Amino acid sequence: MAGSIPVSGMPDVAERAGVAVGVAGAPATARSWGPLGHVGWFVAHQPLGAAGALIVTVLIVAAVFAPALAPHGPKDAAFAPYLPPSSEFLMGTDHLGRDMLSRVVWGARLSLYVGLSAVLLGISLGALWGIVTAYFGGVTDSSSQRVVDSLMALPPIVLALALMAALGQSVTNVIIALSVLLIPTAARTMRSVALSIKEMPYVESARAAGAAEWRIIFRHVVPNTLATYIVMFTVNIAYAIVVEASLSFLGLGAPPDEPSWGSMLTAGTQALETAPWMVFFPGLAISLTVFGLNLLGDSIRDLTDPRLRGGLG
Amino acid sequence: MRRLSVLIAILTTLALASGAGAQEKPRSGGILNWYVYGDPGRLDIHLESPLSVQQALAGIYSGLLHRDPDDPSKIIGDLAERWTVSGDGKVYTFHLRKGVKWHDGQPFTSADVKATFDRVLSPTVKSPRCGSMLKPVVASAEAVDPHTFQVALKFPAAPFLEYTASAWCRIAAKHVLDKYGDLSKPEAQIGTGPFKFKRYERGSVIEWEKNKDYFLPGLPYLDGVKQYVLVGFPTQLAAAKAGRVMLWDTWPPMKKTDADELRRARGDAVDISQNSINTIFLAFMHTQKPPFDNPDMRRAVHLALDRQEIVAKALEGAGIPCAVLDPKLSGPYALPLEEVNKLPGCRQPKDQDIAEAKRLVEKHYPNGVDVEAAVRSVGNYVDRAQLILSQLRKVGIRGTIKTYESAAGFAVFGKGDFVFLPTQDRAMVTVDPGDLFSLVYTTDAGSNWGKWTDTKADELTAQGLREANPEKRKQIYWELQRHLLSGAPSAIPVAWVEGYHFVDRKVRGYRFAPTVYDNNTFMKVWLAP
Repeated sequence: MAGSIPVSGMPDVAERAGVAVGVAGAPATARSWGPLGHVGWFVAHQPLGAAGALIVTVLIVAAVFAPALAPHGPKDAAFAPYLPPSSEFLMGTDHLGRDMLSRVVWGARLSLYVGLSAVLLGISLGALWGIVTAYFGGVTDSSSQRVVDSLMALPPIVLALALMAALGQSVTNVIIALSVLLIPTAARTMRSVALSIKEMPYVESARAAGAAEWRIIFRHVVPNTLATYIVMFTVNIAYAIVVEASLSFLGLGAPPDEPSWGSMLTAGTQALETAPWMVFFPGLAISLTVFGLNLLGDSIRDLTDPRLRGGLG
Repeated sequence: MRRLSVLIAILTTLALASGAGAQEKPRSGGILNWYVYGDPGRLDIHLESPLSVQQALAGIYSGLLHRDPDDPSKIIGDLAERWTVSGDGKVYTFHLRKGVKWHDGQPFTSADVKATFDRVLSPTVKSPRCGSMLKPVVASAEAVDPHTFQVALKFPAAPFLEYTASAWCRIAAKHVLDKYGDLSKPEAQIGTGPFKFKRYERGSVIEWEKNKDYFLPGLPYLDGVKQYVLVGFPTQLAAAKAGRVMLWDTWPPMKKTDADELRRARGDAVDISQNSINTIFLAFMHTQKPPFDNPDMRRAVHLALDRQEIVAKALEGAGIPCAVLDPKLSGPYALPLEEVNKLPGCRQPKDQDIAEAKRLVEKHYPNGVDVEAAVRSVGNYVDRAQLILSQLRKVGIRGTIKTYESAAGFAVFGKGDFVFLPTQDRAMVTVDPGDLFSLVYTTDAGSNWGKWTDTKADELTAQGLREANPEKRKQIYWELQRHLLSGAPSAIPVAWVEGYHFVDRKVRGYRFAPTVYDNNTFMKVWLAP
């Protein structure tokens, strides 16, 4: 749904809404930073965010180029088990003789795929739900909010476990389960944003000009929630990755032969004294990824928040 | 001279002291804590086959015969005080104990034994352990009088007493079967054993309490037994290290690294030993579903599996790769390992066999083939499955794992609702060499999950059962083993499993049995202070 948002004309609409997208104020300033432009400006003004972006870039590179970067197949149990880290196996081998580096690199692909897909699906559906019900209001809005209340009342990990138990173990089902977790939060947040936008003069103008309700929603309301959408998107990828790892750790995530960081941790707990590297490296990968995504998400939030943006001058 | 006298006095004292220790007087009281690897689910001892069911009920029931708790290599009477065999070896007459009561106070009679035999022998009842052993050999079973029971065999079958003593052939109460229809529910667990079934909380705990009216006076010594359902191995090991469980003697055995970890944590407080557990690690393929309905594909799996690597990595070396029968357990009946290890599929190096397996797969699936691998989430099955799938990928068979909870997996396998089971252990019920073939390889075998039908396997199994001459019997089983290793059966032998067990030194009177199912009644076990 979000992919169909008409972005042409978005900046002027966004500026009018006072929730300018991204580094809206940056380009003019960035020009003085030379060829690196936006990047240099971003590093100077958001060093933590830049560190986060660097980590996320490494994650994306690892995920995209996993077949080229991983020295061995992630499922190839072709070596001696429990080999400690060495020049031949930088992260050692696991209990079945698989190269840990290759599994961690391929794990990045799985984590990113699950994280991005679940967030794209969950946040988009939740956003659409929140925006539409906020716009129409009345019974539609209040009844849908009770549904959101019910979903939010369930502990997320319990809900995810129940969904996985019902749906069965597969990567697609992990994405569906995570999406269901994300929908209510996204719906509630986007509803609150949409409630204020629908009272804006330009929405009233559009209504007065005889624009259809759905045209107003998709032409005027949705584009102006984009900043919030982007922040939610970034922050929740980290959440989705952690929940996926948790599900896999509990044996209900991706199928066990998939190189998931969570299932690598589970295997590692069985050899904690013998081969601590089996826990250390996937644990480090999860921590760094979540750290990087949170730093980047915070930074984007700061840049898109008009109050903080002023301070950054 | 004086020094010598002192030395003799010291040695005498020590000898007396150790003698006294060996004859320690058993103490009554206390609860034995141990664990079960998975939730048993349905509790019917005649209709189910998982070890978890047997463990849950071992102390509740008695058999006609059982393994001697003091020396499990011997078979002795349990509910049968004594028995006689006819001259032709075809009629067994069991003389039953008098005055035995069921846990609900009802008297035990031969009608209960008759009801049990009728049940497991019924053609309409699928009894995967007891029934699958007795059906091929028993012609009829009759209650002669309230305390005499007679079984007529189709032929003089050497392992009949072993079968009757099996922990899966325990005697159930006729009035309970009449009332409940089956034994699957906790309230139907009314036996004559040393313990009463007290509590079963699904996925959590199973408890027995002392049967004060047990027919052997003074037994059991324990007030009760508590069995925790501990599914994950890290949890099991943690419980053992913390001293929360006192004993582990069944399946899955610990691996060496785990045994070493436990030894470091508990020191002298536990005895740790390496044991054969009379259990074979098999890979099953469904012979009526593609791609394994094609014998070439089954043969390809046989050729591609590197059993030596699997034993080294998944069992940490504690196992006998590729053997159909384990020479340690079956002695001369097992095909010599020198011959086994030269056969295609079992020999090293693997290059030639992998090339042939690849050729067979390419012949039918030029682009390789995808299969779903069903795995129960117990023991280290998931690890084993990953290892096996890694080996099969080399020949173009690409597997994805689908996991099942223990009892749910057995239900699926029993219905034949699978394509490939990369790993599933089958523990033998007796020490008879024919047990494996009756259990897995005949058309009517209780664990013939892959629906394999092979006339030669059926005939040789039946011949082996009937043959009394040991040398001739050996030749029959050798031929059968060669047939299985050179053909394309549904169940491919991967290895005989060994491993490590432990007993807390406070636990006294316990003896390891030759199968994982026996001697878990704990009737003579007691706890030292």
